[in-house]
Amino acid sequence: MTENSGGFHTIVCLKVVPRPEEVVVDPQTKTLDRAKARSLVNPPDLNALEMALELKEICGGSVSILSMGPPFFEPYLRLAMSLGADRAYLLSDRTFGGADTLATTYTLAKGIQKIGKWDLALCGEESSDGATAQVPPGLAEWLDAAQVTYAFQMAPADQGRMRVRREVKGGWEELMVSLPAVVSVKGNVNEPRFIDFDRRRWALNDSPVTVWSAADIGAQADLIGFPGSPTTVAGVRQVGGRERRKQFLEGTPEEIARELARLLKTQAGSR
Amino acid sequence: MSGPASGNGPVSLDDARWQEVLEATNGDAWPCYQCGTCTAVCPWGRVREEPLNVRKIIRAAQLGVEEDGGMLWLCTSCGACETRCPRGVPIVRVLRALRSLAWKKRQVPKGLPSVLWGLYQDGNPYRLPPSARSDWAKSLEVRRFQAGDEMLLYLGCTASYDRRMQKIARALVRLLREAGVSFGTLGDDEPCCGEAAMALGHAAYAAEIAEANARLFAAKKVRALVAISPHCYDMFLNHTPRLEAGFKTLHYTQVLAELLKAGRLSFKGSVPKRVAFHDPCYLGRRNGEYEAPREVLRHIPGVDLTELAECRENALCCGAGGGRMFLETPAAERFSRLRVRQAGEAGAQILAAACPFCIACLEDSANQIEAGPAVMDVAELALEALGAPAPAPGTAVQGGRQGG
Ligand SMILES: Cc1cc2nc3c(=O)[nH]c(=O)nc-3n(C[C@H](O)[C@H](O)[C@H](O)COP(=O)(O)OP(=O)(O)OC[C@H]3O[C@@H](n4cnc5c(N)ncnc54)[C@H](O)[C@@H]3O)c2cc1C
Ligand code: SF4
Ligand code: SF4
Repeated sequence: MTENSGGFHTIVCLKVVPRPEEVVVDPQTKTLDRAKARSLVNPPDLNALEMALELKEICGGSVSILSMGPPFFEPYLRLAMSLGADRAYLLSDRTFGGADTLATTYTLAKGIQKIGKWDLALCGEESSDGATAQVPPGLAEWLDAAQVTYAFQMAPADQGRMRVRREVKGGWEELMVSLPAVVSVKGNVNEPRFIDFDRRRWALNDSPVTVWSAADIGAQADLIGFPGSPTTVAGVRQVGGRERRKQFLEGTPEEIARELARLLKTQAGSR
Repeated sequence: MSGPASGNGPVSLDDARWQEVLEATNGDAWPCYQCGTCTAVCPWGRVREEPLNVRKIIRAAQLGVEEDGGMLWLCTSCGACETRCPRGVPIVRVLRALRSLAWKKRQVPKGLPSVLWGLYQDGNPYRLPPSARSDWAKSLEVRRFQAGDEMLLYLGCTASYDRRMQKIARALVRLLREAGVSFGTLGDDEPCCGEAAMALGHAAYAAEIAEANARLFAAKKVRALVAISPHCYDMFLNHTPRLEAGFKTLHYTQVLAELLKAGRLSFKGSVPKRVAFHDPCYLGRRNGEYEAPREVLRHIPGVDLTELAECRENALCCGAGGGRMFLETPAAERFSRLRVRQAGEAGAQILAAACPFCIACLEDSANQIEAGPAVMDVAELALEALGAPAPAPGTAVQGGRQGG
């Protein structure tokens, strides 16, 4: 399960995000203070992984996980391997810090090139923290590969292509895509399988996680991290979570309806 | 290749599958002599045209052949079949073992992997934020458990997150304060008991949760734990290892009955109503506790306690056990529908239960019939019987009632 020994090769880009309800914004530095927040795998990335594993059941080959982030990401990559991925690569280097989507996609693209032969790179539709949805298209640009966003269905087709359905307003479109391609997967399009406990021990202890630094992937210093990020964050404001009023109306349905109408008229927007 | 045993054609045997089933069931299915009593008593036969053919599933397990059609996932772990089985087959254990094989093959109904992800990522099957777990207690100022406390109040996921079931938790807090019991909760750090994983047949994951919980309780020096849900109670009593000094597991009705007997709690108010008690399967049949909840109800002035046609060992399940809480059941096929009718037949104005799952199912079905009974938890009835107005937030704490 270790080396990439040929066959159809899917790379799933996986990001670890803080639980949204536990993040606070530091007003001074304008950065997210995630120190107290618990983390999880960006939810749609698990949908992308599920799609990759289903494709592996059809096409064979193997699935790799790729992530750019600090060393604490590692257990989450191992979690992905306990679901069925074969190996993981973590791009981790202090100089990657402060990356915007341009620098992030450059770094991830360098990682993919270093991995070598690949057929498909799957991403989640967007992250729950950055939420730009720019990474998949950016990645495709750096790699000069075909791209499809918001896919919800994928199957191998003739001439080594993939038949991909993507969501568009009011319906869907079906594309024939030549490989290699970068595809972002809609959230909730499938139900991610639960941890395979027979795989777990291997995943936690012996599964291959390769950690690469900026030098390892041959990244250019001026294209990564802060220097490689033309975007600056001019302001961040925390929008207070909406505290529900927890008001419950009593009475007959008619009375409740009348009272509700009155409350909506008099109190709507009064916060 | 092993053919499915559901058709009428010949069945081909598969050594590998046989070995797998044998290992999973540990030979539990062998004593069965195919009398069919289990299928006959299983409540599914009363609500569905095609009953849950337990006998056939057990036979397939003996032979190591596939027998499915999704039937496996109907079982509510109610245990009605087991109490009647002349051969003492631990039927629920066999069915759960077969479910565990289904997990390995990823042949589980849609939605169930998400339930386990909920336990894994959020610490509850409802996928609600762990940081909101103790929001129910905000206005009550319930403090954290400390070593030396008489007991740890274990809420469980349903009483923590479900707005309706939070009422049970609040009632219990007031009752324990009234009796001067020193107790605390684990706040947002309260873990899930893991019963959902257990009931859905993911034994490996349930065992992992149970071990972590045992370590947590040992570290917190918990000596006695009181659970609201009989499902948590069963999990802590029968499936959670004991480390170091171990801990005693109690259902809250046992605690209330004990406090009433000892005179630490007394009812000044009254509830002049005809009340029938629905035995939750995980409290009654599974763990033999039929008396404690009735004891509490008998102490309540005014309560005219009556029995449902099927009660105690013969009680009809509400339908939510065995992980059915997380699967959809058409309204016409809900056992709880039969149960609320039985309450009507017994002339009960109040149908009492002592389990959040039972309350959810019974209340839902009671709302769907004309003049259905009011569904209340035993703790809610006890709170009403206290008579005195509920103490203002914090007063009990300042008054030293909560002192260790
Ligand atoms: C204006 C701006 C300024 C920022 N400044 C900073 C900063 O100063 N410091 C800082 O730490 N962050 C900063 N960020 C956040 C950081 O740039 C983004 O988190 C990162 O570029 C990924 O973008 P995204 O989260 O919007 O991903 P999206 O494009 O929304 O993510 C889509 C998918 O791409 C993949 N993906 C995304 N990120 C990764 C990753 N790291 N590894 C593997 N796969 C991935 C996942 O599959 C994901 O589902 C900034 C973001 C913006 C928009
Ligand atoms: S009641 Fe017991 S012996 Fe009879 S068929 Fe069921 S499991 Fe077998
Ligand atoms: S435990 Fe209850 S639901 Fe399950 S098979 Fe037995 S009688 Fe039927």
